[in-house]
Amino acid sequence: MNRSHLSWLVIGVLGFALPPWYGLPTSSSAPWPPSGLLASFGVAPWLLPIGLFLLLPAPFVIVRSRLAGLALIAAGIGGLGYLVAQGLAIGLRGWSQPLLADLFGPLATGQRGMGAGGLIVAVSLLFYLTLGLAARGAMKGDRFTTGAIGLVVAAIVVFVFWPVSTILSQAMVADPGQSAIVALAERLTARDIWSVGCVVSATRCGVFWNSILLAVLTGVLTTLLGLAFALIASRTGFRFKTGLRLLTVLPIITPPFVIGLAVILLFGRNGTVTQFMAEYFGLTATRYIYGLPGILLTQVLAFTPIAFLVLVGVVQGIAPAMEEAAQTLGAGRWQTFRRVTWPLMRPGLANAFLVGFIESLADFGNPLVMGGGYEVLSTKIFYAVVGAQNDPGRAAALGIVLLALCVGAFILQRTWVGKTSYTTVGGKGFSGTSAALPRVVKYAAYGTALPWALFTFLLYGLILFGGFVENWGRNNSITLRHYITAFGLDWGQNGLLWTGRAWNSLFTTIQIAAVSAPITAALGLLTAYLLVRQRFAGQSTFEFMTMLSFAIPGTVIGVSYILAFNTPPVELTGTAAILVICFVFRNMPVAIRAGVASMSQIDKSLDECALTLGATSAQSVRRVILPLLRPAVVASLVYAFVRAITSVSAVIFLVTARYDMATSYIVGRVEIGDFGLAIAYSSALIVLMGIGILFIQLVVGERRIGRRDPVQPAARPAEVTA
Amino acid sequence: MTRSQHRHALASAVAGLALIAGASAASADDLTLYCSVQEEWCQAMANAFTKETGITVAMTRKSSGETYAQIKAEAANPKGDVWWGGTGDPHLQAAEEGLTAEYKPANFAELHPWAQKQATQSGHRTVGIYAGALGFAINTEILAKKKVKEPSCWADLIKPEFKGEIQIANPNSSGTAYTAMATLVQLLGENPAFDYLKQLHVNVSQYTKSGAAPAVAAGRGETAVGIVFLHDGVTQAINGFPVKVVAPCEGTGYEIGSMSIIKGAPNAKSAQRFYDFALSPAAQATGAANKSYQVPSNTKSVLPEQAPRMDKVKLIDYDFKKYGSSAERKKLLSRWDAEVGAQK
Amino acid sequence: MTRSHSKAGGVEFRNVSRRYGNVTAVDNVSFRVEPGTLVTLLGPSGCGKTTTLRMIAGLESASSGTILIGENDVTLLPATDRDVTMVFQSYALFPHMSVIDNVAFGLDVSGVGRAEREAKAREGLAMVGLAGYEARLPSELSGGQQQRVAVARALVLEPEVLLFDEPLSNLDAKLRRRMRDDIRELQQKLRLTSVYVTHDQEEALAVSDQIIVMNKAVIAQQGAPADLYLRPASRFVADFMGASNLVDATVVGRDGGRASVRLGEATVELADASAGVDDVSIAIRPQAIAVTRLADAPALPVSVRKATYLGSHMEYLLDSSVGELFVVDPHMVATVRAGESAFARFDPTGMAVVPRAG
Repeated sequence: MNRSHLSWLVIGVLGFALPPWYGLPTSSSAPWPPSGLLASFGVAPWLLPIGLFLLLPAPFVIVRSRLAGLALIAAGIGGLGYLVAQGLAIGLRGWSQPLLADLFGPLATGQRGMGAGGLIVAVSLLFYLTLGLAARGAMKGDRFTTGAIGLVVAAIVVFVFWPVSTILSQAMVADPGQSAIVALAERLTARDIWSVGCVVSATRCGVFWNSILLAVLTGVLTTLLGLAFALIASRTGFRFKTGLRLLTVLPIITPPFVIGLAVILLFGRNGTVTQFMAEYFGLTATRYIYGLPGILLTQVLAFTPIAFLVLVGVVQGIAPAMEEAAQTLGAGRWQTFRRVTWPLMRPGLANAFLVGFIESLADFGNPLVMGGGYEVLSTKIFYAVVGAQNDPGRAAALGIVLLALCVGAFILQRTWVGKTSYTTVGGKGFSGTSAALPRVVKYAAYGTALPWALFTFLLYGLILFGGFVENWGRNNSITLRHYITAFGLDWGQNGLLWTGRAWNSLFTTIQIAAVSAPITAALGLLTAYLLVRQRFAGQSTFEFMTMLSFAIPGTVIGVSYILAFNTPPVELTGTAAILVICFVFRNMPVAIRAGVASMSQIDKSLDECALTLGATSAQSVRRVILPLLRPAVVASLVYAFVRAITSVSAVIFLVTARYDMATSYIVGRVEIGDFGLAIAYSSALIVLMGIGILFIQLVVGERRIGRRDPVQPAARPAEVTA
Repeated sequence: MTRSQHRHALASAVAGLALIAGASAASADDLTLYCSVQEEWCQAMANAFTKETGITVAMTRKSSGETYAQIKAEAANPKGDVWWGGTGDPHLQAAEEGLTAEYKPANFAELHPWAQKQATQSGHRTVGIYAGALGFAINTEILAKKKVKEPSCWADLIKPEFKGEIQIANPNSSGTAYTAMATLVQLLGENPAFDYLKQLHVNVSQYTKSGAAPAVAAGRGETAVGIVFLHDGVTQAINGFPVKVVAPCEGTGYEIGSMSIIKGAPNAKSAQRFYDFALSPAAQATGAANKSYQVPSNTKSVLPEQAPRMDKVKLIDYDFKKYGSSAERKKLLSRWDAEVGAQK
Repeated sequence: MTRSHSKAGGVEFRNVSRRYGNVTAVDNVSFRVEPGTLVTLLGPSGCGKTTTLRMIAGLESASSGTILIGENDVTLLPATDRDVTMVFQSYALFPHMSVIDNVAFGLDVSGVGRAEREAKAREGLAMVGLAGYEARLPSELSGGQQQRVAVARALVLEPEVLLFDEPLSNLDAKLRRRMRDDIRELQQKLRLTSVYVTHDQEEALAVSDQIIVMNKAVIAQQGAPADLYLRPASRFVADFMGASNLVDATVVGRDGGRASVRLGEATVELADASAGVDDVSIAIRPQAIAVTRLADAPALPVSVRKATYLGSHMEYLLDSSVGELFVVDPHMVATVRAGESAFARFDPTGMAVVPRAG
């Protein structure tokens, strides 16, 4: 027990004494910056108390005093508090608030953002606190659990709560002569948010109503389609399941705009389908697709796979014994489905709807391309920030409205799912086979999923084709021009030359996605574990905070990250780290939802048993829970990887010349109408992400729980569908 | 038993270090360029500068609105050096807010008067690098098919035959559309201009987000007429679309694409060298070579052949100072929102 | 970290309580489990027995009080660090691991080398009679086999304390009987300290050295099986220990620890546990009543409502002036038929005086 106390004591002290406390300064000519210890006796005397806090518990830990726990808690709270206070109080050029300068007198120097030393010390102090709490019996004395809670809470406070509150506080920034409250109230009650003009008069409706209508429609449609696919994939003898899964995965690995572009090229006023209809059925070619129909179509195309990924784990996780039980009790297929299978799927359905609803609210690319005159919150926020208005206060107010919507959805979902227990993966192993679907459900699933699959397939065929066409719709001759422009290679004197214009952004994109995906999945599933398996004070607040970054549109996140992390104490702008962190915290909520849905189906006695067998919580997570969570692991990894590649709205503000991302490059091409190159690059990304997903599936593998008939083990091999 | 916990904790610490390690910075002879023209041109310009001076350029291309928002957010600790390109209003606004630094380029005397004026009225915090006039991008195929005469004046656009055939960006989001609105206000006076915009509203199928989008839509045949900067229309025509550009007969406004040095730039010396370089005829020739057909600001620069001839365009005396100010902007935009944008 | 038989330690609860908000699941409970013995926590559902067990395991933390295992204070120690293993009601076999991996899991996470842990796991499986099933998945085993795997898994760690949480509740009656004998045999052979939770008094009687009967978060009575069976301290315990006849009676005389008790028309001499109160209840074992046609001195006249022939014995249901009586009578010579009048004769060794209240 004392070993972990001692290790963190040593790590903390070494972190203070050796590595540079601050991040490297911009100029490369500067010498190796001093450690916290050196700086305490030199440029930054205010760091000295941190060292004292680090040493405070040492005597107690070394003599194994019963007071060690208390000492660790005191040092942790005091040290972290002081670390944050000095970081916020002393900026680049001395005191950050004039008030402080008046109080303490001016400072000769300021300080930069924290570097390796600062980070190690901060983490050590955090673990001081959690180890101390565990030693005092918190969370049944489990160091892993207290540490994990501490880590997740700290990370979310720093990387979600702080930036978001920074930008939201902008809603209170008032014009001269106006009070902050009035400014906020005025922004929050603006007519263009709440107007119901489209119902009662000939004016437009408020952006709030537009958003909510779109989000509800998208949430419902994606959930139903996702369910249809999930049922077909795991409950029928459908022969082309692999193809089906591929098709449902395609839209998720599609960069933004591309679906929109393809839909415009098909259904736009000059689109292939529209022109065909005009020619052969005499219909007038109009711009019917722009607006709600277009956004809805593209969003449903884009988000159905997410609903599918959430639902397939749930459908697979329903223990056949329950359905068999119902059948032996005399229930028919339909009754079994209606009374047993369906209620068991409810948490999954609620999660899928919630994800679809929030995705739709936060989506930016599709409303941008397909919106026409239909304004939604996310685009409005974007243009409030970057548009001719340049009004961050307005953006913040809209952000608050959007956030409130998402919180509302979240609460609704909680009420609907209720507190019923849905544990179906018990500790007794599986036996039996899943019930066949009732005929009505089966045909309904086929009837919705198959035409949709066909449509998706067609769309993608066209997208792929579009990359090889000189100029779609005008000059349909086949060319490799776009690919050569993007991915040209040449042999020069020094070997291979990456002459294509896309290489730079492509490499950065892959690296960042590959780094952020595992971190996202790990942090997300860890959080899910804490939410499902542990009970602690403030848990629902904790859960809400984890959902926060998901609910806020990328644009707001992007700007808020610049506002929060451009200056000390955490200085990250212009680095790859800020992109990785942004992706991790933006995509983590999906990993959490997937983890929560799957984990609440696994009997708690499994991990308790591992604990009593002497496994640590960490080991029980790794050895017992994770292998049973493989579908959720795959879902989180895939989602995080793909989202890092395809997200655009947050990224636009965070990319730099060194770390440019594929999507921001593609946006530029779309803006000037160079659809060919945009589509070519997107096709390449699609192929790349497809390979990435296969790789993830291969590495993580499938959940082997032997759902088979015990009487004929040979006849029925493990049947958990891929 | 505690071993794996240690491993876990150490792993997270190491992961954190790896993140920080990414935070290393650029070397001394560098330039960070925020570029707001088309990507090809940005790239070519960066390469040309490196070739000329040996200074490594890190270039980021973003729209002028995005760049302005970024510079504002970064103001406490600037990361960029030069902001090159993009319509003049946000440059003027940045100057007004003190986000950009004062610098008088060496070749200032060689510039066109409009480019010089942009500099003098901002206290030399920005300067004109190119100009582009506002006008119509027309899809000739659609008009031929509908047997509608091509519009040549602002007044033509409110005729009933153009119902649902006109696109212009939303002035709330696009500098181009704001320029158009300000142009009409200067041409007709404020009240008649809003009467005109209300009539135009009936014919407008969509207010796009980005300023150049109507030109793309005209090229694709999604609309017959887009109100855009002429050079954006030219780009579509060069790309093989049936687009013709027209300057309105009553006269029209224009943008002055500008350039500014960011205040507190980490590489201020390199930034000034870039400033001088960007105003040279050689540098300005990179535009036409990369399908950007604006009118360059140096009098000695060669006017690209495809560029809309500014001498054939009737330009109004656009008051950038007045219509670039926050107060005027806010007033016109909220009036547009209330009287035009809110209509069905 | 290796564990040996000699480590079998005792368990002690000192004034332990567990509260969830306003609900008190375990209220100021104190008891000792001697090393090498098997103690059963017996009681109806919701009495706090499972919470008590989980506090021994470290899966629940005590709100107050002290828990000792092998003389060490483990109150604040997490489950991982306690030398305690548990057999779960649901077995909690890891569905994704083979049988041998399940059994070896505890050894694996404690850092035992591969060869050693496989050998020990095989040994453990052999001990529960499952040699040859190593490679199977839990889903390929029957319920009884799964149960044995769970036991083997808990045994191979040779813990200080082995816990059983209603381990037999998912098995059929025949299997249950066999398993409980096997468990008892293994426990005695290995001299393991065990705590066993069940709500089945027969099971408790069969496996225990000591039984702790719990009711409403407190201990109702603690003692050896025979003590509890023969000398229940309360109506509740008597009822729960399977004394199917609880009738009201009156003490009519006391003499040096013996009490004369009137039971309707009959009078019986019993050990006095009345604490001076005259109105008492008497718990009568079904086997402590004999049914006879002959009137006898202390006998109680009854009418036979039901008589069931069960080969080895008779079962009767009698109506009498003190109420209904259930009888198991091994005398198969002169059986009485339903509807007949008869007399009930009482055997004092199968009867106990308990306070009428409580």
